[in-house]
Amino acid sequence: MSKKTQKAPEKKPAPRPEPAPKKAVDPRMHPIPLKVEYDDKHTNDFRGDVKEVGFHFAGYEWSSKEQQLLIDLHYDQLYYWKLAELSKMGRGFLDGELWGTQCPRCGDKFFPPRVNCWRLDEELQRTDWVRLEPQGHVHTFTIAGWSGKSSLKRLPFVLAYVVVDGCKTAIANELRGVKPWDPEFKMPVKVVWAPKEERRGVITDFHFEPADGWKPGPMNPEKERIKELCAPVYEWVKTLK
Amino acid sequence: MSRRVCLAGGAATPFDYPMHLEPESMIANCIVETQHDIPDFHLRNLQFMVYSHFSVHFGKQLAPEWIVHDHLGLVGVPHFRIENGGNTGGSALYAAFLAVKSGMFDVIGVAGWETMDNVSQSQGSEFIALASDTRYEALAGGIYPIYYAAMAHKFMKENGLTEEDFALAAVKNRNNAVDNEKSQWYRGEYQQYKRDLTIDDVMKSRLMSYPLKRYDCCLMSRGGAFCLITSEEWAKKHADGRYVVIDGAGLSSCTIRAGDRLNFPGWTEMYGEGYPDMTEFAACRKSGEDAYDMAGIEYDKALKSIDVAEIHDAFSSSEVQIYKALHWCNKDNIREFVREKRTFMGGDLPVNPGGGLMGYGHPVGATGIMSAVECYYQLTDLTPKKHRSSKTYVKNANTGLVNSHAGTGTSISNFIFRRP
Ligand SMILES: [Zn+2]
Repeated sequence: MSKKTQKAPEKKPAPRPEPAPKKAVDPRMHPIPLKVEYDDKHTNDFRGDVKEVGFHFAGYEWSSKEQQLLIDLHYDQLYYWKLAELSKMGRGFLDGELWGTQCPRCGDKFFPPRVNCWRLDEELQRTDWVRLEPQGHVHTFTIAGWSGKSSLKRLPFVLAYVVVDGCKTAIANELRGVKPWDPEFKMPVKVVWAPKEERRGVITDFHFEPADGWKPGPMNPEKERIKELCAPVYEWVKTLK
Repeated sequence: MSRRVCLAGGAATPFDYPMHLEPESMIANCIVETQHDIPDFHLRNLQFMVYSHFSVHFGKQLAPEWIVHDHLGLVGVPHFRIENGGNTGGSALYAAFLAVKSGMFDVIGVAGWETMDNVSQSQGSEFIALASDTRYEALAGGIYPIYYAAMAHKFMKENGLTEEDFALAAVKNRNNAVDNEKSQWYRGEYQQYKRDLTIDDVMKSRLMSYPLKRYDCCLMSRGGAFCLITSEEWAKKHADGRYVVIDGAGLSSCTIRAGDRLNFPGWTEMYGEGYPDMTEFAACRKSGEDAYDMAGIEYDKALKSIDVAEIHDAFSSSEVQIYKALHWCNKDNIREFVREKRTFMGGDLPVNPGGGLMGYGHPVGATGIMSAVECYYQLTDLTPKKHRSSKTYVKNANTGLVNSHAGTGTSISNFIFRRP
C-alpha cells in the first residue's frame, strides 16, 4: 500500500455537451415510467385496525433480584410495495388471471415470472408476458403444523409446490379442498380464486385445489401417521383467540 | 496462492432463549476467553474486523456492528458487516480468509451474534421468512421449516428414507450437546429430561411440517461467537500449538426459491438434467467440491479424508441432505450410511460433536463461527477442556470440515481445517 504521489492531471474546462443523438434503446432494458398516478385506489380496503405509529414503548419489566430491565417496544411500518414491471402479474391476480413470462428465444416459461431469461448466454433476454392455464401438478408438498404469526389460525394446512401449465419452475401456495393427509406427489390441481372483493393483488388471491375428478387414494400407514400428527394441531388452534 | 490462512483462536458465548447479554458484551466475553487460550493475542493486534450478523429486525437496530465495534474500543480499525442468511457466519469467515490470503492483513477478528429472543418464536419465524422471496412463499404462510419440510418430504421418498432416519441426527446432536455446557439444549430442555433424547421422543414431538417435528428443527437463540483469522506467520509465532490451517474454502449459491431449481440452466449444464431439483443442495456440493479441490481431497475419498465435521443441521433432514451433497454417501448407500450411525461419536466421521444447531443453538450470525470454533477445538485438542468431558472429543483428528448454510440452500460455504 503506497501513498499516491501522482500529480492530478490538469483540469480542462468541460466541453459543452452536444445534444444527445437519439439512441436506439436496447430492447433488453426494462422501461421505467416517468411518473405513475394511481387512479383506482384501495388503500384502506383491508387495513383493519392497523395503525402506523413508529416507535411505541408499550411498557417495561424490572427484575429486582437480578437488576435487569426489559423494555416492551412496538414498532410498525406501512410499506409501499411497487410491483413495477411485475404489475401485470398483480393485475392478473386482481382479475382472476394467472400471468407468467416466457423467453422468446428459448421458450422457457416461468411462474412466478422472471423478467429476464435465466440462460447466461442469452445475456438478459427480456421475457414476454403469457397468460397461463390455471392448472398444474404437485411437485412436492408438506403439511404445516406450525407457521408465522399471521398464519397460525389456519393450521394445519398443506403447502404445495406446483408446476403450473408447463412452466420450468414451481410455485408454492396452499392446497385446499383436501384432508391434510391426502395429497399426493404429481396429483393434478387447479387454481381457485378468492372472491373478487377479497383479492389484494398478491399470491394469496388464489390457492390450489385438486383438479376436478381427482380422488384421494385409500388410507395407508403414512396417511394415518400424518392424521395422528395433525390431531393435536387441530386442538391447539381451537385454543387460539 | 502460497500464503496460508489460519484460525488461531476463538470462543462462543452460551446460546440460549432468552439470554441476558448485549451484543458488545457477548463479543467482549468471547475475546476474553480467546485470550485465555491465546495469551499473546491483544486487541491492538486486530487489523480488520469482519462482523457477522443476519437480521437487524431482531434488535430494531440498523448497523448494529457499529455499536459493537465502537464499544470494543476499535475506532480507526477498518470494519464491515457480512449478511448472508444462515451462511452469514461462514461468509464472514470466507471474507476474512480472502483478506488474509490477499496479503492485505495478518490478523482479522470475525465476530458474530444474533438476538432472536427479542421477539416471540412465531414472530421470529416470520422475520426469518422475510429472507425468502416475500412476494411468493412467505405470503403463502411459508416459514423456513415449511420450505425445508417440502424439500425433505421429496428427498425422503426418493432416497428410501424414513422419519426415523432423520430423527437419528436430531437425537445425535442433542445428546452430543449434553456434553457442552454452553449449549442451549443442555442449559434448557435437557434439565427437564436429564437423560438422552430418543427416536421416540422425536417421533412424538409436535408437528412442525411433515415430515419434520419439533425435535427435527433447530432452536432460535441469542448468542455470540468470535474467532481470529490470521496469517500462518502470526499463528506460528503467537498461537503455537493452538491453531489450524484453513486448507480449503468454498462458497457457492443457489436460487432463493426452492421451486426455481428444478431446471436451472446454471446447474443442469454443470451437474446434468434434473439436478438439484428440490431435493439436493447443489450449492453445498459445489462449495464442498471447491474446498476439497483446494485441500487436495478426492471427492470419493472425502469420507475417509475427514475426521470430524461441524455442519449446519438447521433440520435433521438437512443434515442428511448435506451428507449426500458432500459426497459422503450416495443414493444407493445413504440409508445404510445413516442407519449404521457413521456420523455418531465413535463412527468414522463424527458430525456435530459440539451439538450443532439443534443442540447448541442457532443465533444466526454467530452460528457458522461457533461451528468453526468447535472444529478448531477438536483439531487443537482443546475440546476436553471446553466440553464437560472427553465424550465428545475426537482424538487424533487431523482434518475437519466446517459447513455453513443459508436460505433454502441458497448460499453455502464449506471449509477444510487441518492441523499444521
Ligand atoms: Zn431464454
